Amino acid sequence: MSNVDDIAKGAAADSVRKKNRYYFDRHTSEYRLQFEKVTEEMQAKCPMAWSETYDGHWVAAGSKEVFELARCPVISNDHDINGERKGYQGITIPKAQRATIVRGGILEMDEPEHSVYRGVLNPYLSPAAVKRWQPFVDEIVRAALDEKIESGRIDFVDDLANIVPAVLTLAMMGIELKKWPVYSEPAHLSVSTPEHSPDAARVAEMNRQMGIDMINTMMEVREHPRPGLVNALLQLRIDGEPAPDLEILGNLGLIIGGGFDTTTALTAHSLEWLSENPDQRELLSRERESLLNPATEEFLRYFTPAPGDGRTFSEDTEFDGTRFREGERLWISWAMANRDPSVFEKPNEIVMDRKGNRHFSFGIGVHRCVGSNVARTVFKSMLTAVLDRMPDYVCDPEGTVHYETIGVIQGMKHLPATFTPGKRLGAGLDETLEKLQRICNEQELARPITERKDAAVID
Amino acid sequence: MKVFVDSERCQGHTLCSMIAPDSFELSDIDGTSSPVNEVVPPEQEDAVREAVQSCPEQAISIEE
Repeated sequence: MSNVDDIAKGAAADSVRKKNRYYFDRHTSEYRLQFEKVTEEMQAKCPMAWSETYDGHWVAAGSKEVFELARCPVISNDHDINGERKGYQGITIPKAQRATIVRGGILEMDEPEHSVYRGVLNPYLSPAAVKRWQPFVDEIVRAALDEKIESGRIDFVDDLANIVPAVLTLAMMGIELKKWPVYSEPAHLSVSTPEHSPDAARVAEMNRQMGIDMINTMMEVREHPRPGLVNALLQLRIDGEPAPDLEILGNLGLIIGGGFDTTTALTAHSLEWLSENPDQRELLSRERESLLNPATEEFLRYFTPAPGDGRTFSEDTEFDGTRFREGERLWISWAMANRDPSVFEKPNEIVMDRKGNRHFSFGIGVHRCVGSNVARTVFKSMLTAVLDRMPDYVCDPEGTVHYETIGVIQGMKHLPATFTPGKRLGAGLDETLEKLQRICNEQELARPITERKDAAVID
Repeated sequence: MKVFVDSERCQGHTLCSMIAPDSFELSDIDGTSSPVNEVVPPEQEDAVREAVQSCPEQAISIEE
């Protein structure tokens, strides 16, 4: 048989394999605006679809497909930047422009390597480990709100939700708290600024500065160890050898990328919705003892800040009648699975006391978001403080800026609001950060749970 | 009622202990869950049933 025949036969077989087609482009603003319609269509017609976009990839949109494929052992997260293995492109579709030197930490590793690094991070980020930080988190929140409480005006993104996750993440890493703007600005802007934006060059420069600070911190901590995630990664030994610097940097970048913009996005969207639904806000505040946990999970489900992840099939395999080939790419949509009516009754409504809410927002399988406990703790602290101190706040839709596209993070740039002014409770942000830095150092808060069990004490 | 957590499946989402704090305990190190007691006290049965339904990994099972 000639080559031409082979190719023709292959193409025919391919078109059978890929018969459930859907034009899926999550990087357009239409996708954001039509999200519910696209989700309903895909789940009804093709919960497992082939899309021609971005050199072609599969899209898992149904909860069953997402559940099975995210836990499938022949699906790879690997990002093989230097072409040393199979050349896979990690978790972004299309391949991220920025990712040319460093892969995305544990999220772009497969087993057994993934577990080696993850094992280092876990004792800093487990529920018990994060609980120790609660008084510390509440104090940052208090100071951030004090900066604005007398004025009756706040931007919940700029003045609260950008600050708290950033400061806590740096504290856990063992990076100086006062450096939070060096990390926070590029972490948010690199997600929200499209490549073609006139601002792209400035954002790239900020990213470069952040990278330099990360490298300097790494060298500093290597010379003079101090508690935190940076030190933990530096102390890691694999077969007696330290982890490569670039893998350490990749993991630090992942902790920042994962820790900053996602929690900001969850908080802003929830506060916006509660402003639009003041009766629900009052109910949540009044019955927070029973409602805060389920409402938090419901906001996570509904807003899904990190809407999905890319993967690569590492072997030919079949699921539910669809055959996949090694090397083909797959988008796993947590956001769409979260709206599947077969799992979630009234999926497009926020039901604060929803039962059986087995949402996909932190991903599932071995790559479950390692920072999920940090996200919940920080979110709840910010939300309850706003409910207590600014109970009548009203968001200003004119000044609210959502991300243009939700391909990477379903985020928000600005969420201004007004409220009845109140009294300050303590020092402002700068002074508070100085105090918290001292407490961090004195009490060695950034030690892992294996070395320190007690909660932070704020004097 | 008896309750089991499949340790191969559990990834430490912590929803079970949020819903049924008396029935599940979490590892300090990585947040993975195990039942406090295999036999569930009658007053905890409803919460445990909800935990089963809420587990993102479907790692919890019960024997009535």
